[in-house]
Amino acid sequence: MDDTLELPNAIAPKVSLADAIQEEDEQSSDGEDGGLDWTKLIPEAVRPVIPKRGEKEFEPKAGGGSNLQLHVLDRARSAMLEALRATRTTSSKAISYGVWQPSLARTHVTVARGIHFSSMGHSAPRSLLGENGVEKIQKRLELLPEEAIYLIERGSMFCWKETDLNLTEVSGAFEVLGAPMSVQQGYSEMIGTEDLTLDRFQVFSYLKRLGYVVTRTKPPTSYYPTPPNTVIVNSAPSIFQRISSLFPTWASWLSRLCGSFDWWRPMRISRWLHHDKNYGSLFRSLRFIPSGHGVPLRQSKSVEVESPYQIFYNLYKPSTPFKKTAPPPPDFQIVVINARTTPMPTLQELTDLFDVLPELPTPLPRQRRPIPGTTNPAIPGPAVSENAAPTQTLNNANQLPPSLFRRLFPWAFPRPAVAQPLIPVRRPNPFMALKAGKKMVVIAVVDSGSISFFRFSQGAFTEWPMM
Amino acid sequence: MSSDRQRIPLRIAGKRAYVWDVDDIATIRAQYRLCGVLTGTLPHLSQQNAFLGVPLVLMPEEVALLLEIDAAVLIDDPKSHIQPTMPELQRWNAGQQESIRAQVAFTETKSARESANAGRAMSEDALRKRKEREERKKAEASRLAEIAARSDGDLLALSEPTPAQAPPIHSDPAVSAAGNQTEPLSSIPYAVVVSAPSSSFEWYNPSGRFYSSLEDARAAGVWDYPSTLEERARCGVFSGLWKQGFFMGGGIKFGGDYLVYPGDPLRYHSHFAASVLVSPISALRPMEIVAHGRLGTATKKAHLLCGWDDEKQEVSYLSIEWAGFG
Repeated sequence: MDDTLELPNAIAPKVSLADAIQEEDEQSSDGEDGGLDWTKLIPEAVRPVIPKRGEKEFEPKAGGGSNLQLHVLDRARSAMLEALRATRTTSSKAISYGVWQPSLARTHVTVARGIHFSSMGHSAPRSLLGENGVEKIQKRLELLPEEAIYLIERGSMFCWKETDLNLTEVSGAFEVLGAPMSVQQGYSEMIGTEDLTLDRFQVFSYLKRLGYVVTRTKPPTSYYPTPPNTVIVNSAPSIFQRISSLFPTWASWLSRLCGSFDWWRPMRISRWLHHDKNYGSLFRSLRFIPSGHGVPLRQSKSVEVESPYQIFYNLYKPSTPFKKTAPPPPDFQIVVINARTTPMPTLQELTDLFDVLPELPTPLPRQRRPIPGTTNPAIPGPAVSENAAPTQTLNNANQLPPSLFRRLFPWAFPRPAVAQPLIPVRRPNPFMALKAGKKMVVIAVVDSGSISFFRFSQGAFTEWPMM
Repeated sequence: MSSDRQRIPLRIAGKRAYVWDVDDIATIRAQYRLCGVLTGTLPHLSQQNAFLGVPLVLMPEEVALLLEIDAAVLIDDPKSHIQPTMPELQRWNAGQQESIRAQVAFTETKSARESANAGRAMSEDALRKRKEREERKKAEASRLAEIAARSDGDLLALSEPTPAQAPPIHSDPAVSAAGNQTEPLSSIPYAVVVSAPSSSFEWYNPSGRFYSSLEDARAAGVWDYPSTLEERARCGVFSGLWKQGFFMGGGIKFGGDYLVYPGDPLRYHSHFAASVLVSPISALRPMEIVAHGRLGTATKKAHLLCGWDDEKQEVSYLSIEWAGFG
């Protein structure tokens, strides 16, 4: 909150921050191909300058502040307001055009310019009335409401609103395709369509301003490109997994070996075998309560109310190569909630979220040279999730959660007295792995305009027994 | 209508209140000591989040307060955007064409002058002189633009229900340097202006969609805050603190509902993080007190517990600070 409120300060800087903040978009590239930088034509006052923030004072003097304080405050305010008065001007060579169609909740892009369209908009087949009166299906570029508002707002797109007027009577340097829209009209009419709320839009534009690529997780239509296997199940464990997770394998093995498993005496020390007379096996035999995220949660679905905790956006880092038509698996997935109406997520809600999320690779220790031959689980994304954990060799198997095989036949793996393998193998640090968790979701909490991002991850403590 | 003129129009869409006019933002801040949150992307500085631009989104408590003191009027914004009629659209288009022509003419004269100067623009002295000339020209242009904008604003004000500021379309300096020749427009670039407020459109018409009281707005389904006990408590606490002269901002990052500032947050640090309790006898877990005390101390703030008594319509305040006895 503080950062949005305590912004400007009295000193209006001489050097405009506009020069410091590089605009990566078409405006800069436009200057190169002979176009004129029209921002230079605007009187200096119209160009926004971010007021510098400086030291704040503790409190105003009694009676509303001293004269100096009032003066400084006045200058700070006018610096802020001056920055707000900036107008959106874009060169005609760089601006895109679109037509907002409220009935579809889409903006049809008629002229697409600039790099924004490499990560925004999708093509959708729509039936058009051809010249001879025959309907035909044609693909065209469409924007979701949040994409349209964002582009209008940053001055990259001029948007018309679809009208039923005969527009052939209006002509000029550019084609008039409807009623011209203001940014205000974009906010008024586009927010509320296609599941877009102001909170979600604010999160969208916040992340876009930071340079992320943001797409919808749930495709609004079947034409909307989705990454492979994210929406579809990686989810609930199979029946076999559920049943087997109820009975840890060693327990079933024990019970098979020693008859019925006694809950009051979980430890059975064999008289003849020597292998279980060490701490490892003792602790292992004490872990007899089924645990971990593989164990299904006791469901208490009494009322079917849709949880506000639904993944809404997929997020790609600016560095991730992004192809609009075939998006890769997202780097992050984001839930947007309203702080005023939504309580903390319940365990059920978190579990439901994690059920649809992909598993993350185990983090590797930093700054080690990679060992040839080991697969590199440092690649982000869920694709490597399945084989991420068991990448280690048998040498350091004792550092890993015991494998199924090992748990079934612990005697086949006498605990090595010398556990040091000859070659230093990169081992994941268990604490880093626990901290990072196996699955991760980002929750954006919006309280009337101020956004906080929280990261919830699913720690897998059962997979990293310390003994 | 005259009383409505002094009231600040809040554009309501989807039960959220927006302020699009910078002058209104100034009034709300200076006169009514309310901050709201700026949320829009700032034009020309669109890749940063440090300072955002219009619209100003007001907290619902701020809207309720402005209504309570008869300082604002709610406008049903989606319904105020009416489809323009043909003549209106034609007039708008004519204005655009005029602006483009002026800009193109300006560019042409400028580039002509530059090419004429090209040969002797080498020496340092010449460069310096040119710079001076350009600066003078710029100042002149901005002055003329201001004049043009003012006169245009007056013209438009006749047809507009709200006291509009000059539409940005006309505020381009090129207007003043207009020549009137018609040229092939496609080859020379010109500036396209996307206007932020709709009030520059002739067809934007909020008249008849004003709601000056909470009851009216609620009956029309435009606005309904506060409607629950919790919302009433928040409004009660908010206006209680406001009436004592404090400024309030959102306090979610400090574990409270509001941050309470002794003066404008532009210049002063907040003293309290306030949290609202819906009744003076509502249960409070000791852990909350510990957490509030801890966080407050770490951020040099005292935590303020504000208990709302819905029957008596009053607030009782209690502040928590770490005692610091070692």
